[in-house]
Amino acid sequence: MKRSLKKITALGMAAAMAFSLAGCGSGNGRETTVNGGGTAAPSAETSETQANSTESAGEPVTLKITWWGGQGRHDYTQKMLDAYTASHPNVTFEAMPSGWDGYFDKLATQAASGSMPDIVQMDYLYITTYAKNNSLADLQQFVADGTIDTSKIDENLLNTGNINGKLNGLVLSSSYLSVGYNPEVLAEAGAAEPASSWTWDDFIKTAETVKEKTGKYGMAGGPVDDTNLFNYWVRQHGESLFREDKKAIGYSDDKLCSDFIKMWADLMAKGAAPNPDEYAAIQTLGEEGRPVVTGDGAMLTEWNNYATKVSGTNDKLKMVTPPMVAGSGTMGLWMKPGMFFSIAETSKVKKEAAEFIDWFVNSEEANDIMMAERGTPVSSVIRDYMVASGKLSDQQAAMFKGVEDALALCGETPDPDPVGMSEVNESFKNAAYSAFYGQVTPEEAAAKFRKDADAILSRNN
Amino acid sequence: MKSKKKIRQADNAVAYLLMTPWLVGFIGMWLIPAIISIYYSFTDFNLLNDPKIIGFANYARAFTQDETFVQALKVTVLYVLILVPLRLAFALFVAMLLNKKHKGLGLYRTLYYVPSIIGGSIAVSVVWKQIFGNKGVVMTLLSVFGIHQTTSFLGNPKTALSVIVLMGVWQFGSSMLIFLSALKQIPFTLYESAMVDGAKPSYTFFRITLPMLTPTIFFNLILQIINGFRVFTESYVITDGGPLDSTLSYVLYLYRRAFTYFDMGYSCALAWILVAIIAVFTVIIFKTQKNWVYYESEEG
Repeated sequence: MKRSLKKITALGMAAAMAFSLAGCGSGNGRETTVNGGGTAAPSAETSETQANSTESAGEPVTLKITWWGGQGRHDYTQKMLDAYTASHPNVTFEAMPSGWDGYFDKLATQAASGSMPDIVQMDYLYITTYAKNNSLADLQQFVADGTIDTSKIDENLLNTGNINGKLNGLVLSSSYLSVGYNPEVLAEAGAAEPASSWTWDDFIKTAETVKEKTGKYGMAGGPVDDTNLFNYWVRQHGESLFREDKKAIGYSDDKLCSDFIKMWADLMAKGAAPNPDEYAAIQTLGEEGRPVVTGDGAMLTEWNNYATKVSGTNDKLKMVTPPMVAGSGTMGLWMKPGMFFSIAETSKVKKEAAEFIDWFVNSEEANDIMMAERGTPVSSVIRDYMVASGKLSDQQAAMFKGVEDALALCGETPDPDPVGMSEVNESFKNAAYSAFYGQVTPEEAAAKFRKDADAILSRNN
Repeated sequence: MKSKKKIRQADNAVAYLLMTPWLVGFIGMWLIPAIISIYYSFTDFNLLNDPKIIGFANYARAFTQDETFVQALKVTVLYVLILVPLRLAFALFVAMLLNKKHKGLGLYRTLYYVPSIIGGSIAVSVVWKQIFGNKGVVMTLLSVFGIHQTTSFLGNPKTALSVIVLMGVWQFGSSMLIFLSALKQIPFTLYESAMVDGAKPSYTFFRITLPMLTPTIFFNLILQIINGFRVFTESYVITDGGPLDSTLSYVLYLYRRAFTYFDMGYSCALAWILVAIIAVFTVIIFKTQKNWVYYESEEG
């Protein structure tokens, strides 16, 4: 009697343990990293059974969607999803937003395990990698059959999503490099507000004046976080960052790079720009906490939707096109596709996803909620609608007008970033930082960047 | 009356049943991925497409073309070589202090143990970053005493790794508990006879305590070295490998290669190189065991 009672208890406990495993299966695959499993590389997760219905329109459909952004963007995008569900009751959403940091790491893992969300917000930086590996669906079929209306989108902008003959993403917004500034801080320092025709010398002088007169940062951005600002500099001097075949750096004189690095190193030495350590501390403050927003800094380099993005915290910021090179008329600026929506090749609900993307880009209802936070809308009809509606805040109206002015200063849009771009960005940042820390001269840093970037590009392209 | 054999079989069955959850986890989450990653290490795999076999190219690349690999290895080995002795020393020291009877002993033990449970977490790493980072607590405190820094400890490539090591040393609690229990197992008679012979405390420490503890030291050493090589969270959260790769731990580099640079095949090769390195360290320690570890049961 006693023995069988023991056995039953044991079996009962085992069953309880087995059932508790069921709790792990559902949901987004919470990863249990137990101490014992450490040394093996984090390999691809086995695909999980997700609740993904595959019925056609009219039947209940769940769209998995992911995007990056700040809390403001998460909030209003959720409102957009709710509005779409209200008008299309059979469509519900599973939203997985995150910040920019780690967004693409997560996406890579999901792509590897075949569980990429149906709708993915995609950036010019990575679209080539995903496109070349056929992870993104060809949207051309949906354009051809009318699901996505692209007639009001500028041809050149639309084609930026075209890689290897497939339309891998629908561009949502356009943006261009800008300098954002806090007029109050500039006024405090007695510096004039910049105009479109300003030069790099004006920029440096303004930054230094702000530091002298107010002790605040003249320039509080991250100029070497990636190669975008450097690309602008390269283009202004008539060169191109990458060689045509994307296997190496495109400009021939390293002085171009060392001058750029030296400019920032000098600003840092004068205290007009934060040194890497101070900048690391600034980065932890988040978008809305940065010096330009809080009044502790005068300028920063960003995309042109920055003032709109932070208008909730500080609505006095203004944007201007970045400085020109003195005495040169070369157009370095370009209209960058702000971001795309792509559909995963593995998605089973492509049509419904395409319908949502069309609504997102072309409907007044969607754009009324979004209010151009992701950048200037690509549809000319929507742009006119928004300007005429009178609902635009000062920042937004300024942003729309700014696009017109900027177009005059734009050259050709460059090709999408080559495969391996994130590594190139990292090597540029490391090269610049080693100069900022005084470990190497700017000339040595420029040479090292060329060496590393050439190796990375030739390996990947 | 069931036969003895049947009873044993039935007991074994229950045993296996109870082990099943762990076995499933071990095979599914460790064994199979490990085998797959060995396969990947011989391929060029960018996570999005099918892997292409390229033989030993990944391993060759690590040793001949990759400066960052060398840097990451340097950082991690340095981390281990400094951290492990420091941690064990602190653990032993505090364990000895806590071996005496005084008031509040239980409280102190818990307090010293708590960092090692919560220590490796992201939240604590973020706090550490705040404390030692620019305009953080340490920098402000130092300026009160007249020491003005332009870069915080974390921003300086020469000192950033020390901060990470410090965080590791702070988590000595688990080693301390193991030492504590080992200390309690040293027969008091040894100390008694030493006292009778008029031995000084330092003598008893070096001649009785330490030798009796060598099996525990051996165990802790191996455990801490293996764990030390796997440092990731502190490095990722506090400094993200910077500044200038001075805190780029091996596993962080491996992770970055895999997921940020779409270079999974190479990353798997790096992982198995790490396994080999840890194995080498472990074998060396095992082989030298005879020279310095004293097991009471062996003594004639």
